[in-house]
Amino acid sequence: MTTAKEYANEQLERFLEELQAYLRLPGISTDAAYADDVRATAQWLVDHLESIGCTARQIEVHDQYPLVYAEWLHAGEGAATVLFYGHYDVQPAEDTQNWTSPPFEPERRDGKLYARGATDDKGQHFTHLKAVESLLASDETLPVNVKFIIEGNEESGSRGILQYVQQQGEMLQADVCVVSDTSMSKKEEPIIVNSLRGVVAFEVVVSGPAQDLHSGMYGGTVHNPVQALAEIIAKLHNPDGSVAVPGFYDDVRDLLSHEREQINRDIWDNVSWAEETGALVPWGEENFSLRERVGVRPTLEVNGMAGGYDGTGTKAIIPATARAKISCRLVADQNPDDIVDKVHKYLKKITPPTVSTQIVPLSVRSPAVLIETQIDAMQAAIRAYEVGWGHTPIFRREGGSIPVVGNIQHNLNIPVLLMGFGMSTDNLHAPNEHFHIDNFQRGIHTIIEFLNIFAQSQNSTTEKTTQEKKEEETK
Amino acid sequence: MTAFEYARTHHHDFVKQLEDWLRIPSVSAQPAHKDDMGRAANWLQAEMTRIGFENVELIPTEGYPVVYGDYLHAGEDAPTVLVYGHYDVQPAELSDGWDADPFEPRIDGDLLIARGATDDKGQVMIQLKAAEALIASGNCPVNLKFLIEGEEEVGSPNLATIVEARVEQFAADVCLISDTTIKSVDQPSLVYSLRGLITMELIVTGPKGDLHSGGFGGMIHNPAQAAAEIIAKLHDTDGRVTIPGFYEEVRALDDNERDELARGDVSESEWAAIMGTLPDYGESAYRRVERVGARPTLEINGIASGYAGDGFKTVLPARAVVKISCRLVADQDPRAIFEKVAAYVRDITPATVHVELRALEFGYPALTPLDHPATQAAIRAYARNWENPPLLMRGGGSIPIVADFQRLLDLPVVLLGFGLPDCRAHGPNETFSLTMFEKGIDTVIAYMHELAEGTRNDA
Repeated sequence: MTTAKEYANEQLERFLEELQAYLRLPGISTDAAYADDVRATAQWLVDHLESIGCTARQIEVHDQYPLVYAEWLHAGEGAATVLFYGHYDVQPAEDTQNWTSPPFEPERRDGKLYARGATDDKGQHFTHLKAVESLLASDETLPVNVKFIIEGNEESGSRGILQYVQQQGEMLQADVCVVSDTSMSKKEEPIIVNSLRGVVAFEVVVSGPAQDLHSGMYGGTVHNPVQALAEIIAKLHNPDGSVAVPGFYDDVRDLLSHEREQINRDIWDNVSWAEETGALVPWGEENFSLRERVGVRPTLEVNGMAGGYDGTGTKAIIPATARAKISCRLVADQNPDDIVDKVHKYLKKITPPTVSTQIVPLSVRSPAVLIETQIDAMQAAIRAYEVGWGHTPIFRREGGSIPVVGNIQHNLNIPVLLMGFGMSTDNLHAPNEHFHIDNFQRGIHTIIEFLNIFAQSQNSTTEKTTQEKKEEETK
Repeated sequence: MTAFEYARTHHHDFVKQLEDWLRIPSVSAQPAHKDDMGRAANWLQAEMTRIGFENVELIPTEGYPVVYGDYLHAGEDAPTVLVYGHYDVQPAELSDGWDADPFEPRIDGDLLIARGATDDKGQVMIQLKAAEALIASGNCPVNLKFLIEGEEEVGSPNLATIVEARVEQFAADVCLISDTTIKSVDQPSLVYSLRGLITMELIVTGPKGDLHSGGFGGMIHNPAQAAAEIIAKLHDTDGRVTIPGFYEEVRALDDNERDELARGDVSESEWAAIMGTLPDYGESAYRRVERVGARPTLEINGIASGYAGDGFKTVLPARAVVKISCRLVADQDPRAIFEKVAAYVRDITPATVHVELRALEFGYPALTPLDHPATQAAIRAYARNWENPPLLMRGGGSIPIVADFQRLLDLPVVLLGFGLPDCRAHGPNETFSLTMFEKGIDTVIAYMHELAEGTRNDA
């Protein structure tokens, strides 16, 4: 009989063809021009989930792209349930000239699959579908019940799923949630992320004159809004790289020495740092290691700036306005609303009387997440990696944010396992995004193993509990 | 029929002709408008021929052609006037904030609204229609040479070469330019100085590509932030440019000149019309009019970095591009100032990012003596058409070629401007006053007579 793993290996080429078909759909949720494509992606996914043996449908959510829900609930009485989360939307890819192959025409080169969404998150969460398909094809059953919830607004704030989980979460009830949307640096050292930074984003708009002015006729008498915005941004950090907003660090927990030790076991030296980023030398809070700066310290980051003329040639103007998109990464115990409030107050304070400043909230807002490492599900995940991936995973506190993770953890009251199969060099959110094909394959193996091992751990828990009960009865 | 009568009779036609020319979107900065540039030049060439100019030609350059034509029948003793203007315009898109298509002229009361209405097609038409009227009257008192270029808005990269190669052909006693504004519709003003200009591009780079701001934020010096920090160091809290040596060559103003300039200072109501309740900015030791006309500046004209479109992208940008320009006054040298800017930027750039500062164009400042007969004729020509004598002013803008004309052709440049301060040149909804169009033509006709008279008296 063919095992699930053998089946997955035999069918790899077809799995990749299917993933490529999925990647061809430009489901960019941040740009309304792609609305039809995002919806087409959702329908493709429903059809595909049906084809592998699940019951699937779209769930409409107000003012957002539909959620894709699927389930297979025939594992029998007492069986555990695993909830898989993923997202079918992708980041924009407007800078096509920087892509070697077009972002929505997947191409395989050097063992990698290049396309927007290859690693974030289509390629990664497709491993869940293919693991389930492989088990069903070889065993004609699954060791656990499975549910899929796959959203289409992850890159644009996850508003729909956040609300859905909060209000109608009972349909998603499960024993554990698995998310594959994170990465590792080395294939020999896969990573389970047990902490995520939160994020909150807003736009700062600095206005001066009612319209663009001729810089010759007015230059020297008007506070140039781009200059004023630059002066404001320059005041948001101290010379030591820390954020200058008063009270910004008030709620940040002090790191315990054993925590620092665990974090810094996962070394990030200046050489591999420089290779990965291409930047000259590191920057940031001097008293914290690179890993700590992204894992356990909050930040304030300028994500985009625009003002005046940026086309070909020059235009001699004093721009009427200048804007900056700014986001703060947050760590455990920081409250997103409180942080925006503090930034807002500080901006008002440092804005000179010669311009006016407005702060516009963006729909990106989530607190940080921290997950215990001793629980059953986490132990099952460790063994799944050892068997399915071939290496023992390490834990990492990640700098990025997946708003839905904290939401699921909080509302469904279940642990969320971040079993990421991407590489940190996959260029996510950037040109030439890709996913390693062997990671795709090993990811499928790892999920197959996880479902089996987790099922066993739940059974033994159940049996043990039954036995204990009998013993108690005997007494 | 006198030239003045001719101009009055034909005013309606003149406006129609100007509208035709404004419909051609001759944007020199944008390659997509290459064909329109050709159409605008051809239109002008045909118009010059129609009104009786001779030797009309399109002088080819490495960029867009210069349109030339002359009328040399006033005699050898009569002064020769070289009229300079430009047929190219600033970029304009409906999305910049225009109320309607910038290249479909509209008339709203006294205002003609279109890109190029004031800068500079409307003002070139004042010169051209004055010439037409003088020729039609049979009494043109000066010899005329028109030199209208197509690359003023991109820094006139090829004009100096053409002028240098044709010094004989362009030789004249006075160069007349209408590309400036007067104080108000009731108060003419004469700009006797122009600022020079350096335009630059500052590129700040950090990581090799855009990075995820979650995965990397906090340990990479964000190039947008670094660019902001660099920009923030270019001025002190008094609005003074901090670049060492920036003000070294600036000519000090004497009390007489300060008094003269003070007559034309920006009033509080004029300021409020543009800026609302926001207070002004800049060197507190100087009046607004002095900051604009007699002091150099450093200005940020644009910035772009990361994702600034709809929604949000969690990106740590790989680079930031900043467009910077300096307005210069006599006797600052653009190349020397650029070196000072570049050295200072290098100096204040932290080790965490890489910067590149590129100069895009250089223009020298210019100053014309107030007591020259050509300037005196201008003062009298304005006085003949307005109740108030003209204010004597320094212009804050730049016409880089003015200094080149002075240097290469060894002649005084007189700026006979007819724009109004709220004309929104370079901005959305650019306007041109039709009253100014009519009075401008009369003033130019008067100027030609005054100049001829003044020259005869001098002789």
